[in-house]
Amino acid sequence: MTNNQQQFYEGCGREGLIRCIFLSEFHPVAGSKISCQVPEGYVTKDVFDAVNVYIIPKPQLQRCILTVNVMKTKIVGYPVKIDSQRYARNAFYFNLCFVCDFWARSVQYEPVVKKLSEYLTMMEEETGFLSKDEDDKIQLQTLLGRILSDLNEHKVTTIVEGENTIYLKIVTHLPDPPTVLDHMVPLLMSEYKSIPLESWDLTSQQILPYINGINHIARIAAEADVEVTLVKACIQNLAYYGVVKLLPILKYSNVYMCTRSLQNLTKDNMLYTACRKYVSLNPDRPSPSLAKVFQFYASMTHGITLRTICQRLSPQNHNIDERKLVIFGLQHDLIRCISKYPVFIGSMPNGRQRLYTGTYNFDEICCKTGLSAANIERDIDSDTNVTVIWK
Amino acid sequence: MEVNPLSIIIVKSDSKGDRLLFRYPYKVETQNDISSESKRRNPYSILINDDVLQNAQQQTSNIHNGQLSGFPDEVLSTLFAVKSELCNRKFELKVNDVRFVGHPTLMQAKESKEDTSFILINIVFALYAQASYSIVTCYYELSKKLGYALVHEENRVGYLSEEMNLMVKTHDEIAAVIEQDRGKSELEAFDLVLERSTLAQCLKSIYHDLCTTGLLNITINQFVTLCFCLPQKAHQFHKKGVIVEPETIDRCLHSLKPYHGMLLLVNFAELLDCVPPSGALMLLKLIEVYNPLKSLQNMASDADLPIDHVYELVGHLVYWAKATIIYPLCETNVYVIAPDAPLYTNSPLVEKFSTEFPGMSLFEVISDFSLPTSIGHLTTPLQQPARQGILAQMVLWMLQHHLLMQLHTYVQFMPNDHGECDEISTEYELGPTVDENHSEMSLDNDDDINASSLLSMSSQPLPVPNTSHRSNTEDQFSAADSTVSDNIVAQPSSSHKSNFSMTQSASLSSDNCDSLASVEDEDKIKELLNVFQEQDRAAVRRIPAASNPEDLALMVKLWQAGYFKGEHHLEEIMYFENLRRSQLLQLLDKFRDVLIIYETEDPAIASLYSQS
Repeated sequence: MTNNQQQFYEGCGREGLIRCIFLSEFHPVAGSKISCQVPEGYVTKDVFDAVNVYIIPKPQLQRCILTVNVMKTKIVGYPVKIDSQRYARNAFYFNLCFVCDFWARSVQYEPVVKKLSEYLTMMEEETGFLSKDEDDKIQLQTLLGRILSDLNEHKVTTIVEGENTIYLKIVTHLPDPPTVLDHMVPLLMSEYKSIPLESWDLTSQQILPYINGINHIARIAAEADVEVTLVKACIQNLAYYGVVKLLPILKYSNVYMCTRSLQNLTKDNMLYTACRKYVSLNPDRPSPSLAKVFQFYASMTHGITLRTICQRLSPQNHNIDERKLVIFGLQHDLIRCISKYPVFIGSMPNGRQRLYTGTYNFDEICCKTGLSAANIERDIDSDTNVTVIWK
Repeated sequence: MEVNPLSIIIVKSDSKGDRLLFRYPYKVETQNDISSESKRRNPYSILINDDVLQNAQQQTSNIHNGQLSGFPDEVLSTLFAVKSELCNRKFELKVNDVRFVGHPTLMQAKESKEDTSFILINIVFALYAQASYSIVTCYYELSKKLGYALVHEENRVGYLSEEMNLMVKTHDEIAAVIEQDRGKSELEAFDLVLERSTLAQCLKSIYHDLCTTGLLNITINQFVTLCFCLPQKAHQFHKKGVIVEPETIDRCLHSLKPYHGMLLLVNFAELLDCVPPSGALMLLKLIEVYNPLKSLQNMASDADLPIDHVYELVGHLVYWAKATIIYPLCETNVYVIAPDAPLYTNSPLVEKFSTEFPGMSLFEVISDFSLPTSIGHLTTPLQQPARQGILAQMVLWMLQHHLLMQLHTYVQFMPNDHGECDEISTEYELGPTVDENHSEMSLDNDDDINASSLLSMSSQPLPVPNTSHRSNTEDQFSAADSTVSDNIVAQPSSSHKSNFSMTQSASLSSDNCDSLASVEDEDKIKELLNVFQEQDRAAVRRIPAASNPEDLALMVKLWQAGYFKGEHHLEEIMYFENLRRSQLLQLLDKFRDVLIIYETEDPAIASLYSQS
């Protein structure tokens, strides 16, 4: 119980289940009331009375998504008013609400609530689905019950009700994906590797065989013969869903530094077993020792290139594939790539110097100009107006 | 952007009903963007008006040009004049993309005639719905504080009743005027309210302060002082576009140690407005002894304050974005460019730097820190001391602007794992596991290496790794020379072991050193080594320095204290174990076969940097 309390506090940013779905309507005599609720009695009368202003609000707030979080209950609703001569006050007010725990995020339910309300509006307009049985709402009760259980279990539901089919799906709200640039390298997360190729969309099907943690976007586009903007859009979409992770391009001239998470490698048994397995050069030989792997990571610091470390530690003798080692490190944030930013400090930049603003790193400049890193390097070395910053 | 409030609203509810008293900003730019309404992707696209599902016209956004829009005053007042069940607790309501947060405060009106009348006052902040939970909480706290301040002033002099009556009267006056001639608009009522009411002026200044600095220091009714800081905003002043969460600051402050130092980010004059007058004295005491070269502990003892108070003061200053945590500046500190340093041409920092340090270019100075560099490295004793002073000033400036990050050295104890493909160590690995006789042989072999490598270590700081057999034999030669001249502590002890076990392998050189002390040493070493697990013990024993009880004792002590788990940097070990840097470095070097050292940032300090 105490564990639960620690986990679920307000603002913990977790998602929770839908606890209850209820329909509230404005009764011409009795005023605002809950006319149907699944499960019965989840929202008590006290709570409803305190918040009914926000459930059946003023006309100006009709068709707005309203979320009210008071008294340890979070209610997401979408108040609707239907004008028609049929009704006692020439209008029918209702609001279909989802109730969640007060600590849970509820953004992902907003479109669902809105869509369901719109289905119900349509059904009400066509058949009087909501208003027909004053006291007996068994049909609605079963409908809401099914939506509740389906959405909580499968996050998706399809229900045929009379002549309408209701399609609902909860789409998780994730932070925006990063912008995908030419020089970035996508890496497919291991849990998605087993998915058969046919089940991906068409663009992904073309691209996926070239995603190996080594190829960069521009190269994938060239090899898969897919337009580069399409590749970027596709990868960005995959990155949004966490299918791929974007890493900096691997070069032996790269410089890396270890992060605070490196110590996890010695503490997290799963992580280090996974690491030793992943970085093995030859899977038939015994996997490299933790000490060797750790030593490799620990040697990474400013000013020491991957090439130097390889020369010093000869990882291949210890059955370590240094490329996989770097990929694993980047993937689990054990290490961070330190990029090189040329900065032009003269007065009038011309030609390529305009790119040396300090906002583009070496890889980006290489991709933009189509020149090799060595070429750029030479260019910068000979130019006294350019300094280089590593960060 | 999403940190700023959209609007601040004050609503009252009493026996005379609910009313929106004031909101700020109230001048909404009403110019309709015609272009946005009929925005087409291209000139040929058709505007589809009749969508089947979205037949009714609906509002999906209530934000217009960074201001609240689309809510008439009456709607707001009914929304915020909450039922009594919802009073004195957090009130949160989200409408489309606007989140309203407030603390409805119920209080008794101070009236001489009737004692039972209650006033509900709700000061609500309208925020961007995307604003993080911590931002919402901060605004909630502010609303609560304002509520308490108003309760206090109401109880004292009936301030709120007075202000309320004044505002209501003004609204009624204007309404009456509008009734008479239809030329005037409602907007001017707020103008007049703002002119007359001190509470409205106060809310206005709160809104402006929140939008500009995120720091508040206001006095309500010239009596109650209210200090408030919105850290997510305040820290942007020093680092644009980066939101520092209060949680991060808390984490930083929790890991604060006495050896940390403080670096002020603002002038002395700007410091005092963040503390209530009662705390100012203590702050002054601390500031008098402030020096970025001093640790917190030194400052505490200089200022004659308990260290806990210093922590609290520093914590407060950090929260208010007036100071940051550093490791006290010294020659040995290693700095690199921070990963998120905003360094680019046309950066305002470039100009700021050259006005601060005339004739210097930020890029030239900072490019020295592309590689991990210390102030000691950048200066030579031959240079005049003034140059070093300027350099220190520049480093401080760059630290203040979060351009530099300090690297610390961490130590991880890691003997070679048992039974792994390590060609060199396999022979040694066998040593402790095979029968007694064999182990003595290998131990004896070790003895010679021990003696020699200890010597070589004392003479040259970085000898080649002593791993192959070829180097063993070389070392044996040198050992032969040295045993005569140098009567080192380690040698007798280790060689004694061979004597003790009564085998022929006892070397001649050790005969003369056999003494009671060495027996003790031997036992001590054994005892010390016992703390390690089997396979680790073997690895440690193989290290030459392990036969020196002093070195081993220190090593074991630090290991047992948990310093070799990569969680404590050298400076921390030095501080808590009262060691000198050279002592510690020597020890690490002697035991480098089982210790892996690496450089990274101090998590306490780095948490204030964004990890990109």
